[in-house]
Amino acid sequence: MKQGKFYSLKNIILLIIVIVLILFPYIVDSRTLTILMTQIFVFSILAISYDILLGYTGIVSFGHAMFFGMGAYSTAIMLSKYDHTMTIFLVSILVGMLFAGIVSFLVGLLTLRLKSHFFAMLTLAISGLFLVVAEKWRTVTKGNDGFTFRAPDAFRDRIFFYFFVLACLVVIFLLLRRFVSSPLGKVLIAVRENEQRTRSLGFKTLYYKVFASIVAGVIASLSGSLYAMSLRFVNTSVMSMDITLDALLMTIIGGVGTLVGPIIGSFVIEIAQHYLSGLAKDYPIFERWIIFFGLLYILAVIFFPRGIVGSIYSKYLIWKSKKVTSKQQSPTIPIANDKERFD
Amino acid sequence: MDLFFNLLINGLATGMLIFLLAAGLTLIFGLMDVLNFAHGGLFVWGAYAGIFVYAWSGSFTVGILGAILTGLVFGWITEKLIITPVYGNHVQQILITLGYMLVLSEFIKVTFGPNGIPVEVPPALAGSWELGDVIVIKYRIFIILIGFVIFGIFQYTLKRTKVGLIVRAGVMNKEMVQVLGINIKRVFLFVFMTGSALAALGGVLMAPYSGVIYSEMGMEYAILGFIVVVIGGMGSFSGSLMAAILVGLAGSFMAYYVPYLSLAVNMILMAIVLIFRPQGLFSNAKEG
Repeated sequence: MKQGKFYSLKNIILLIIVIVLILFPYIVDSRTLTILMTQIFVFSILAISYDILLGYTGIVSFGHAMFFGMGAYSTAIMLSKYDHTMTIFLVSILVGMLFAGIVSFLVGLLTLRLKSHFFAMLTLAISGLFLVVAEKWRTVTKGNDGFTFRAPDAFRDRIFFYFFVLACLVVIFLLLRRFVSSPLGKVLIAVRENEQRTRSLGFKTLYYKVFASIVAGVIASLSGSLYAMSLRFVNTSVMSMDITLDALLMTIIGGVGTLVGPIIGSFVIEIAQHYLSGLAKDYPIFERWIIFFGLLYILAVIFFPRGIVGSIYSKYLIWKSKKVTSKQQSPTIPIANDKERFD
Repeated sequence: MDLFFNLLINGLATGMLIFLLAAGLTLIFGLMDVLNFAHGGLFVWGAYAGIFVYAWSGSFTVGILGAILTGLVFGWITEKLIITPVYGNHVQQILITLGYMLVLSEFIKVTFGPNGIPVEVPPALAGSWELGDVIVIKYRIFIILIGFVIFGIFQYTLKRTKVGLIVRAGVMNKEMVQVLGINIKRVFLFVFMTGSALAALGGVLMAPYSGVIYSEMGMEYAILGFIVVVIGGMGSFSGSLMAAILVGLAGSFMAYYVPYLSLAVNMILMAIVLIFRPQGLFSNAKEG
């Protein structure tokens, strides 16, 4: 899809949403909701980064949680070992990103030559390895018990932290939008559609895929840092498979291959998770709310493969082409182009 | 020397259990080209259902039959509902079977409760033989025997019988088999059910071996199964036997000699194999 002008409808809607989100903590005077929203933004960043892999490059990674965990641990460890200042926090984000970048580079270089299923399993294995290291290296990570740490003074104010995370999300969103519409991003989409053909056009697809996995890994690490900071606590669950599954589900529900999709997905999932686990007090079946998530997964893959954003957008395309055809009286059948996606 | 034999038998028995799991995966992937991440869920259902039937009937043989039946029924449901819509699309297969896996392991908690259930070795197979210094635990020998019997049956069926011929031909050329008047859909359903039954059998045999069953063991063992399939070479039946024995032995020897590496040894093994020989150790197929 062509990038519209700055004043396009899409940008105006996004601007309005951002303004509403900025005003949100002042309108809604609820600490719980502010924290929930912060959590949603954190997971939005993670889900967007996952979508760079799944939606734009077409590779399924099961090791995304390890980058998330790297960010979380680098922040937690640095803030507890050194001073709890803002500088240290920012440095710890950078350290986490650097580390995640190096690891995703090495892992990607070794594994991305393999076909999708081998890659999925190998990432599963490698992230399992990192989880084992985190569990066993108790002197640093304190294993599954985890440890708490002190946040910088500025973050005592939950509203300030809310803005900080929101700003991160907006910046990441804009950067990634630029990224996927750049020539490099187009090559990634070409890899997703047909890797063989892209290669025969002379692109070294391995390099592009490795680059995509580095971008995804680095951003996942950022979201991990923010996550640890929002909880002020870290344990090995940040590296568990559940985190990857959450990111996956958010991406699928919201819309694969779009940037807005994962954000909407994380809204839906986090809010559903919040209220479903709240319902468990009254209805015991909701203790097992993961069942609903599993069913959601299955139904989404079968009936809703393009997610919320993708489905709405294809409806919009059909509607638009209908309008055009009725004007032109042309007999062409309006079919939304499957390759064209909302970004 | 007796230590060596103990570790050897231990490793072989573990390897055989993983083989039962990996054999199902190999069948399903190698023959139907379906990536089934829910295999561990079928494994754990086999274990629970088998042990449930065993406790109810008092006979371990009936328990095993119950597990196999559960595997067949679940395989039928799974193929009809979950796998059929996503034939030919690996990414969707990975996603949908993962979701299904979540549902399966959560339903275990709903049906049988969230806590682990202790299981004892059936009296007929309990105890051990003493051969000089070596103590041989009966149940482990039993598992090893079953593993080899299953391997023999499948190898024979696939290589020597008409059913095996049809299945192998279906893998080579689906359309051609269909043209010959064979319902390839039904063949695939049959293969999937067989694979699920193998997983369930592995589950029920594993239960007395590890002493306790819990809902998360599905994922843990499924990962082991995947590792074995990758090491052995996708779709190679004898390859998965070799790889399962290799993984079992590596695990049991490592756990004794280098304990801190034992959890990681399988992952390392798989990573090395994938990097240097992505098609698997025992596969003649081309890369990928």
